Amino acid sequence: MASTPLNIASGMTPSFSMVRKYFVAAAASFLVLCIGLTASYSDIHGHHFQPRLLALTHIATLGWITMIIFGAMYQLIPVVLEVKLYSELLAELQFWIFTAGVVGLAYGFWRFSVGMHLAAAAGLVLLAMIVFVFNVLATMAKVTQWNITGLFLLTSVVYLLLTGISGFLLSINLGFPFIGRIHLDYLKMHAHLGFIGWVTMVVMGVSLKLIPMFGLSHDFPTAPSKYAYAFLNLGLMGTMVEWLLTGAHWLLDFYVCLILLGIASFLLQLFLIYRHRLRKALDVGMEHSAAAFLFFFFAAAAGGFLAFATFGDAEAKEAFVLEYGVLALLGFASLLIVGQMYKIVPFLVWFHNFSDKAGREPVPMLKDMYSERGAEIELVILLLGILVLLAAIWFGLQGLLLGGFGLLLLGSLIFAYNIAAVFRIGKTYGDQRGNS
Amino acid sequence: MATKEEILEALKTVVDPELGINVVDLGLIYGVEVDDKSVRVTMTLTTHGCPLHESMAAAVQNVIRMVELTKEIHVDLVWEPAWNPTLMTDNARRLLGW
Repeated sequence: MASTPLNIASGMTPSFSMVRKYFVAAAASFLVLCIGLTASYSDIHGHHFQPRLLALTHIATLGWITMIIFGAMYQLIPVVLEVKLYSELLAELQFWIFTAGVVGLAYGFWRFSVGMHLAAAAGLVLLAMIVFVFNVLATMAKVTQWNITGLFLLTSVVYLLLTGISGFLLSINLGFPFIGRIHLDYLKMHAHLGFIGWVTMVVMGVSLKLIPMFGLSHDFPTAPSKYAYAFLNLGLMGTMVEWLLTGAHWLLDFYVCLILLGIASFLLQLFLIYRHRLRKALDVGMEHSAAAFLFFFFAAAAGGFLAFATFGDAEAKEAFVLEYGVLALLGFASLLIVGQMYKIVPFLVWFHNFSDKAGREPVPMLKDMYSERGAEIELVILLLGILVLLAAIWFGLQGLLLGGFGLLLLGSLIFAYNIAAVFRIGKTYGDQRGNS
Repeated sequence: MATKEEILEALKTVVDPELGINVVDLGLIYGVEVDDKSVRVTMTLTTHGCPLHESMAAAVQNVIRMVELTKEIHVDLVWEPAWNPTLMTDNARRLLGW
């Protein structure tokens, strides 16, 4: 007699091949980023507005960070909000448009060939973002039960769009100046819309779902997450308006304080989740994440310091801006993504290869799908690399920069090897079972 | 015909791939009803919206099919009452590092 179909919500998960593209492209971008940083270490000093640094920053923020967020959101939104993705075809198309745009943009900045070429590449990136935002909003339109994660994600895509539009306008302005004010004023807005509005908002929303799930945390107070959402949005919107209108300085200070208060509330929420966890030991993915959140604290502190402190000489300020960038992009965002990829990629591959076999034949545990020891070593190397970089910038030692980037490259190679191992495991594991 | 106890024993082979703990020790199985025609399992997961929900319920169905060849199998996934740590066995607590 046939079994009756399971009365569970099913078919929400998007196709593995679509999501896999985003994850593989992101891991490859991280490797390219680390190679690029190592190769051009001697260019990384002084002012942040310089061709190679712009190219590498966009490989980091678009090819690595945003690429992984796209893949993760396509995977998570249907599961977390219990709706089917509006269009997989659009998600597939978006991947190719975005990849072409990021490659064009990175090349354009690297060679500093501003003009039509750069604007066209930025236009492709913006088009991909519009497709993404449309796809996400059309998916979210079907949601009946909202939660704080959904709210964070919904808001983040609005900021993504604003980041893309401002970036596109800036790319035109580089070749055909039309903005009446200083380009760098707008660059500051573009960077913070992207980093706080898009990346931080996504990280907060996704963390509020995943961190308690991975740590088996239950019955923790959730009020700080709501304060984090309110403070961060009010602070960011206020800061943007003040930067745009160049209004009263005390008002800008007030809004920056709100952003810092929002980040503090979020970190408090994470601490409460951590305190209420049932799974006492942190696995290697969560160790990466814990280190990343520590860097988040320092990045926020550095951002606050930049907002309020007055620097005696311009060189010291530029060095501090670079420290801020390393803390935020490498210490916080990159370590967090590496850690969460150790959690999410094995799950995706497991779900695709072993889901239907569970209960019928032996299947691997997620932690068996990559080298835990390798990941531990990689974490130490990446941490060491970031600390060496911070010291090299602080003391102005170019040679030490090379050491720091070399360590990051080594760490990214181990990480790429480990992620490739996860993708290979399905076949290998199947072969082993066939031979036994 | 498999008894309720035999089905529960079989379900101990269904392991959460993230935690490495079986669904019985985790306290995810709320009930097993066996009659002449069918087996009905009521279960939950540790987190609402857990992406493993389809796999875990399917694995439970697969395992029961191996000990009970002919009956209808129903797996009801419920979120109420919500799972809580008191439902875990001592073995699960030990594996979580308590």
